[in-house]
Amino acid sequence: MAKPTIAFFKFSSCAGCQLNVLNLEPVLLDIVGAVDIRYFVMAKRENFEGPYDIGFVEGAVTSPRELMELKKIREECKILVAQGACACHGGIPSVKNFSGMTQREMEEKVYTELWDLKSFPAHGIDYYVKVDAYLKGCPMDKDEFVMLVKSALKGLNPLFRYHSVCNECKLKENNCLVLTKGIPCMGTVTAAGCGAQCPSLGRACEGCRGPASDCNAASLARTFIDLGLSRDDVVRKFRKYAGNTPEFSKGAEAV
Amino acid sequence: MSDRRIFVDYIARTEGDGAIDIVIGPNGEIKKARWEVWEPPRFFEAFLIGRKYDEIPEMVQRICGICPHGHHLAAVRAVERAMGVKVSRQTTLLRELLHYGDWLQSHTLHVYCLAVPDYLGYESVLAMAGNEELLPVVKQALSLKRLGNDISVLIQGNEIQNRTSVVGGFTSVPDGSELRKIKERLKEAKDFALATVRLAAKVASQDPYPELVRKCEHVSLRGEDRYPINEGRLVSTEGLDVPDWEYPEWLIEKHVPGCNCLHAIVKGRDSFMVGPLARVNNNFDLLSKDAQAIAREVGFSAPSFNPFHSIIARGVEITNAIDRAIELIDEIGDPVYEEPKYEIKAGEGYAVTEAARGICCHGGKIDKDGVCQAWDIVAPTSRNVYNLEKDFEYFVPKLLNLSDEELTLKCEMMIRNYDPCQSCATHSIKVNLRREG
Repeated sequence: MAKPTIAFFKFSSCAGCQLNVLNLEPVLLDIVGAVDIRYFVMAKRENFEGPYDIGFVEGAVTSPRELMELKKIREECKILVAQGACACHGGIPSVKNFSGMTQREMEEKVYTELWDLKSFPAHGIDYYVKVDAYLKGCPMDKDEFVMLVKSALKGLNPLFRYHSVCNECKLKENNCLVLTKGIPCMGTVTAAGCGAQCPSLGRACEGCRGPASDCNAASLARTFIDLGLSRDDVVRKFRKYAGNTPEFSKGAEAV
Repeated sequence: MSDRRIFVDYIARTEGDGAIDIVIGPNGEIKKARWEVWEPPRFFEAFLIGRKYDEIPEMVQRICGICPHGHHLAAVRAVERAMGVKVSRQTTLLRELLHYGDWLQSHTLHVYCLAVPDYLGYESVLAMAGNEELLPVVKQALSLKRLGNDISVLIQGNEIQNRTSVVGGFTSVPDGSELRKIKERLKEAKDFALATVRLAAKVASQDPYPELVRKCEHVSLRGEDRYPINEGRLVSTEGLDVPDWEYPEWLIEKHVPGCNCLHAIVKGRDSFMVGPLARVNNNFDLLSKDAQAIAREVGFSAPSFNPFHSIIARGVEITNAIDRAIELIDEIGDPVYEEPKYEIKAGEGYAVTEAARGICCHGGKIDKDGVCQAWDIVAPTSRNVYNLEKDFEYFVPKLLNLSDEELTLKCEMMIRNYDPCQSCATHSIKVNLRREG
């Protein structure tokens, strides 16, 4: 079997997910040997046109140029993967969608030369095109990336988790931050796969992986009010990494 | 004769999206020399307004995946200054160690994966790995990069975005025995760090790089008693010496007629460089003994105004990072958990850190409920854009005998000297964004 051809693309984002590929130091050269990286501008000077077997897209779509490119990338890639919170749900760039300011007002706050700005609300890539797999989290989990590449090499469906971070926390036998300390943790509504990284370190889950399946965000929002959060605090919790999603919108609108 | 144009629409082996556009007239005069950052803006300074004080460090580290700690720690310190929060000695030391982990990761990535392939004639580090002689070097570089990442993972739970570091301290601290394991690995890595400086000096001594010297102002922090990374005074090779929180007054941006982008200058003077070379020039005496010794051994003398010496400065800083990290681990000993404690207060605060690629400035206003009223961010790369364009104007006429292909590569290398973060630069410099559509 020929090595699958792989491409990495970047839209509005911090490049952290691409860097997390390079952060696979112990297995990086093995991966490079098993696939054919045809396009990875951050790491290579020689890059090639598509088509590709797997395309990884990092970043939210926020401009007409990005949208045009995304559509072309979709046509060029057999499997299209959303890589990280920005590509999956809009991520941190999507915070601007809920700033209460118009696009024009935001532009005036940051830039003086507005003639060349063409920015629109930030969305994950599946707002515009069909996506075959999601590598959630901010940044994406590099072990899940490896699992996806391995599955693709074997022609298998990767096993992603759809339950909540709460389950992983219980498996680690952590004390619950909400129940024991009253810390407003998003773990009950957030998709697992990170190994409950933040709660295991005493930090509330901030929901960077987006909604778990069948999550009850409205109920969690009311719990946050009971814990003493203001209405604005609750809205900020749900309008952060995945504020665009219908599930987290329910949380933001419940109080 | 017609004009000669050097154009790269998407510069490889840098972070983010940028382009080079240089036009050379028939008599070798530079008609245009632009580094255009076309990365789309993300409006951090706008959407931070109305967010909570503790979300500022959480969010701004997501400006850049390669120097998240520089942004994060500058914002943490600015918030702490605004609210009058004091942190413990242990927190200060852990933050320093955390940031040195990031420098090790970022500098090793830059030297071996982004910069050295140019000098050795490879398109990427992956191609270098295909050469049997170079493969062991690539493997050692990857393990040094891993070591930097492991420091970060141990202290904050992730390679990139901080999990434990918050306003007032940490939500959990690492185990002392784990820190001491890292110390052993740092000791083992030392020889490779020294070899890195020697390699950097060797490649930078190839023709024509030693000739490419341009005096300009170098700006960095200057530590009081140790090499600056998270704190210090703001100084320069031209005599600037002010508290870091005064950065908005001294480092300013001005409009230049005929150009759409704002240009960063030192007040009353001209363009300036930030980054490892500026730091080494301003703090040579504060480097570890071995870092100073290896710099002297390879013939580096501060101050150097050859931007191609940036790669040597990175190697020297890798050596210093290893020495300093070992000292920090000794001083930290067995960390104990300290609950972050503070009162939310209205205030205004500014702070500067040294991201791997130069000074990273954050600050703004917080109201009595802890809600952000205004936030200013100036990333290192936006400081360097104007200075890099001056490098183009000064160096390109010296290289006109090269073929277009070779000259293009040299121009890319001039950009890579600065190890730019174009994602960082975009949202805060008022860049000349490429016309779209």
